[in-house]
Amino acid sequence: MDINLVQEKIENDLAGIASLQALEEVRVKYLGRKGLIAELTGSIPALPVEQRVAFGKEVNALKNKLLNFIGEKGKALKAKGGILKKNNLDIGMPGIARELGSIHPITRIIDEICTIFNRMGFSVVQGPEVETEYNNFTGLNIPLEHPSRDAFDTFYLKNYSKLLLRSHTSPVQVRAMKAHKPPLAIIVPGRVYRPDAVDASHLFMFHQIEGFLVDTNIRFSDLKGILGLFAKNVFGQDIKMRFRPHFFPFTEPSAEVDISCIICKGKGCSVCGRKGWLEILGCGMIHPNVFKQVGYDAKKYTGFAFGMGIERIAMLKYGINDIRLFFENDLRFLKQF
Amino acid sequence: MKVTYNWLKDFLNLKIPPVELAEKLTMAGLEVVSLEGIAGDFVFEIEITSNRPDWLSVLGIAREVSALTGAELKIINPKEPKLKTRGLSPIKISVLDKKDCPFYSGRVISDIKVGPSPEWLKNRLELLGCRSVNNIVDITNYILFESGQPLHAFDLDKLSMRQVCVRRAKLNEKIITIDGQQRSLDPEILVIADKDKPVAIAGIMGGAETEVTAGTRNILLESAVFNPILVRRGRQKLGLQSESAYRFERGVSLGAALSASLSATGLILKSASGKPCGYKGLGISKLTNPVINLDPAYLSRVLGTVIPILKIKQILSKLGLQVKAKAKNILAVKVPDFRPDLKLPVDLVEEIARIYGYEKIPQTLPAVRPSEGIFDEKEVVSGIKNTLCSLGLHEVITYSLVDRALLAKSGIKTSAGLVEISNPLSCEQEVLRPTLIASLIRCLAYNLDQQQEYVSIFEIANVFSGQDNSVQEEPALAIALCGANSFLTGQGLIKDSICLLHLKGILEALFNKLGVNSFDFLPQDENKINIIIGQKQAGFMLDLSPQVLGSFDIKNRQVFLAQINLKELLNCINSGKKFLSIPRYPAITRDISFVIKDDLAVKDLLMAIEEKGAPLLRAAKVVDYYQGKQIPDGFKGLTISCVYRLDGRTLTEEEVVPLHNAACSLLEERFGIKLR
Repeated sequence: MDINLVQEKIENDLAGIASLQALEEVRVKYLGRKGLIAELTGSIPALPVEQRVAFGKEVNALKNKLLNFIGEKGKALKAKGGILKKNNLDIGMPGIARELGSIHPITRIIDEICTIFNRMGFSVVQGPEVETEYNNFTGLNIPLEHPSRDAFDTFYLKNYSKLLLRSHTSPVQVRAMKAHKPPLAIIVPGRVYRPDAVDASHLFMFHQIEGFLVDTNIRFSDLKGILGLFAKNVFGQDIKMRFRPHFFPFTEPSAEVDISCIICKGKGCSVCGRKGWLEILGCGMIHPNVFKQVGYDAKKYTGFAFGMGIERIAMLKYGINDIRLFFENDLRFLKQF
Repeated sequence: MKVTYNWLKDFLNLKIPPVELAEKLTMAGLEVVSLEGIAGDFVFEIEITSNRPDWLSVLGIAREVSALTGAELKIINPKEPKLKTRGLSPIKISVLDKKDCPFYSGRVISDIKVGPSPEWLKNRLELLGCRSVNNIVDITNYILFESGQPLHAFDLDKLSMRQVCVRRAKLNEKIITIDGQQRSLDPEILVIADKDKPVAIAGIMGGAETEVTAGTRNILLESAVFNPILVRRGRQKLGLQSESAYRFERGVSLGAALSASLSATGLILKSASGKPCGYKGLGISKLTNPVINLDPAYLSRVLGTVIPILKIKQILSKLGLQVKAKAKNILAVKVPDFRPDLKLPVDLVEEIARIYGYEKIPQTLPAVRPSEGIFDEKEVVSGIKNTLCSLGLHEVITYSLVDRALLAKSGIKTSAGLVEISNPLSCEQEVLRPTLIASLIRCLAYNLDQQQEYVSIFEIANVFSGQDNSVQEEPALAIALCGANSFLTGQGLIKDSICLLHLKGILEALFNKLGVNSFDFLPQDENKINIIIGQKQAGFMLDLSPQVLGSFDIKNRQVFLAQINLKELLNCINSGKKFLSIPRYPAITRDISFVIKDDLAVKDLLMAIEEKGAPLLRAAKVVDYYQGKQIPDGFKGLTISCVYRLDGRTLTEEEVVPLHNAACSLLEERFGIKLR
């Protein structure tokens, strides 16, 4: 770029300046990191060796001239008055307000998901964390002494036979269906417990959200539709979703749901284990045996249910790499939310 | 479960490349977790769900691949060998309880030559991660992987009196299993015993004494169906896991048990010579083939899409099910014995949807009819959290399970009513917490350790207590404060050291926001103030004792905590707020400033002022207080603001002065206060 051209431009721009804001704009245009002066300086190495020194000097002189002018002009504009002078303050000083607290990221995700389902007509119901063996297992078509129980390692209570810490939020299905007649559109957030060894992705306590819809004509396609809407709301409109057949004792047909990896957009990265997909929830059509247990007519009603881990979703959304951070409650962590 | 591409080719004319096959399997519910190319073959590692024991075999997976790709499944039915009965005396087999062992068979093969396995056999086993032992053991393992039926070969000559009996173990009976461990048994465990002692733990692991070794000449080949629950209990009790137990626990089929025994015999005769010279089978002999009636309309109703009948028939028959059109629009589906998971029409719906492809089912939105008569307090609790957040508190979530030591450290008495966990993994999961206080102190101490100057946190969670035969579970709110809050004002930085009144202020702000109209704070002892809401004790405030502070290594600071029973608080929320009209006429405000002894209660002073100020006094409240310079020790300065007002007209000075003076006089007379 021609130095004379720049000089000419500068003179034109400087002529009309009437406010500190306009002056700042000019400063950025010429002296900013990507400003025209920097561009001129950047062009020096491309010049023939013999021209470099002279050109460098010229650019420097122009820069100093400009700095000088901006300083002088700034002083003059400030002296003229304005809101800062009137208030005798510097707008670079910190604003004054009492610090707000924060809502835990797990609560934030629970609230966000509940709100999405509330808008679709679902009501929140919560259940106890100390549950009966019946509600946690038998009522959900998980037989005693069956390998399907291995997926649900469970804490039991000493001195209270048949009582345990719920290992999922699904027992609330049994409770709600026993207490109410269809139609039911329910969402259940809550704490759950499993005796898992603690590491960066496992804890003995975590949170789940369970949802279920029961009426006379609820279909697997409705489950796909509702969860599709949910995923777009939580992870963005571009998210892709896939349903993989799976096995859960309390649903048939059952599926696991993957979303396209939100980090690599499906190309494959370390977060998704190079698969391009992230598993986020389990779901299916409520098993007729569960309806039988709660006294619903399986010929008349159908329904779907789904459940997901909140920590996993929070980790994906906020880019948190260690689940233990949620329960360490370091203020430097909490204050970010 | 591992399976190789070449092994699958024994059963199918495979054209689909391994990577594509892996994708297809994953999308059909057989999640391929790894695919590795090794030595000219490809090893698929597949996660098999617990409802599909038939997938724990190469044949089962081949059947699935056939349904997914359309390739024809080639099943080779092994033939019954001609028995050569001469030479060996017959074997005696008995089963004590058919419920424990619905089917047991033994096949005698004599004059075998034990030695290393042929290379192809070794290679296949090694690709699956199974170590080669000798030709006989390898063949039983090979058939296990291929058919899903576990087999066991005994050294026949080491079985006392050439007899085996399937029975429960006796208490303290011992066996040394093939892994060299001595195991102590009991009657919950099913064993195979010869005349004297157990020679195998049924379905779990064989005994070392009767295992096939280089010197073995005659074998008894076992193929059986054991009770899955017994196998599960047994292996849990013994802390043992084996490929065999894994399959028996999930359920094996009679069909596989019969054909696996034959296939293994065929292979043994081929690779280890030997003569088949005896067979005995006990128990069920007929395969069960239940029929499920499927109405395609029902399928559409469950899935929300229509799948053509032809497609349905094709999918089911590829999966090994026989389909016949029964009545109009009803399909009678005969279920083979290797699919005990198929019981209801909806099970068939899943099979069809799985193979058809979940991705082909459309997304629809149902008309959601909201549930009637359901109320949950989550909304109110969210409101409480937001109020506390706006008061500068940070929400924490701490574990509901704690260790006794933490409770003791926190000064919490834990004698009665503690709910214990019977199977904790560590002492940190000993008990369900009876209070949130201990967890909050720990969390606060942690943050002080991280050099936080000011910690203000809260948690809302359930607390637990045991009562007779039930566990009481109630939501509680707890707050913890410590340190000095620094903040800027127009006049510069202020360091506000936290005291009990900050905690009280937060609670008052919350109660007022919720519309709780009757609450009080009643001191109990040196460290505790009870919080009364609506005449009921609903919680407390704590000033942590030096002992507790010391046990958490908190130095030179005070820590204040509160815990409130959330149920009691929610019960007292006044949702019937009414509007009070805004006063139309101006008030006259008079301030009274004075110095009082610390032991005088502000509450009493305010009552005295209200007594004399009536009926014009509308409000009397403390607007300022100070201690320090100019005020002697044991005294404090106070300013009380009195607001006088009438609703109907503007008040005059003359009306207020006598009342106000009377109030001031009463303060002087009753409390000996000198006004300033």
